[in-house]
Amino acid sequence: MDIIILFLLFFIALAMWRGAPRWLVLTCWFGTLLLMIGLFRFHVTSSLGLSF
Amino acid sequence: MKAMLPRLVFWCINLWIVAYTAVIGISLLLQFVGGELPCPLCMLQRYAMILSTLGAVWIIRQAQRGVLTWDRYVQDLGLATLGAFLGAVFASRQIMLHILPGDQGYGGAVLGLHLYSWAFVTFCVVILFTALLGIMAPAALPEAPDKNSMGDRLSSVIGLAFLAIVAINAVMIVFLEGFNWVLPDNPTGYALFGH
Repeated sequence: MDIIILFLLFFIALAMWRGAPRWLVLTCWFGTLLLMIGLFRFHVTSSLGLSF
Repeated sequence: MKAMLPRLVFWCINLWIVAYTAVIGISLLLQFVGGELPCPLCMLQRYAMILSTLGAVWIIRQAQRGVLTWDRYVQDLGLATLGAFLGAVFASRQIMLHILPGDQGYGGAVLGLHLYSWAFVTFCVVILFTALLGIMAPAALPEAPDKNSMGDRLSSVIGLAFLAIVAINAVMIVFLEGFNWVLPDNPTGYALFGH
């Protein structure tokens, strides 16, 4: 998953650099955002034993 | 002063790219030279830094091409803010994991703070910065220097340096993750080499 996210980030950077269509950049950007949230949810498996 | 503002904003956004390129570069240096392998949450914070900075890179590239409009500028600032907010969430989770008295934290400290605490500070700075740029937007649409001028080339070098640091991370993660689907909670070596 990390490999996919980083290669997507690199692809977005290249697409921006080369002036790719806006819809393509935005779609990939939000896709990466969702993958990152999914990965975060995967790693966060328990609530913290803290009380404020 | 009003005429200088668009140029000033252009260079401030370049400075933002330089700052995050340096931060990610230092974390890579700590990883390769200091032997501090990043945990999954550390990596997620790196991704958020890149995701947020992509907004800045896009603004600069569009300004250089002369296609930057108000609506695109504000939308790209929004992307950067969203990326920084997500990063702040990741960093605060890691801070909370190590907040109890007696906990030594994950990895070494730099100037008294662990890297995830510094990451949280940088995300807050980016959110503040993009908010200020948004407030100033009606008076300061970034304006790039003339094509092929010294300033134009310098700005391109900054963007390419950022691209290079993303590429280095992309290669590094292949070695770190190997054939696994996700990173282990406490990585002890580069999985591609069988650790």
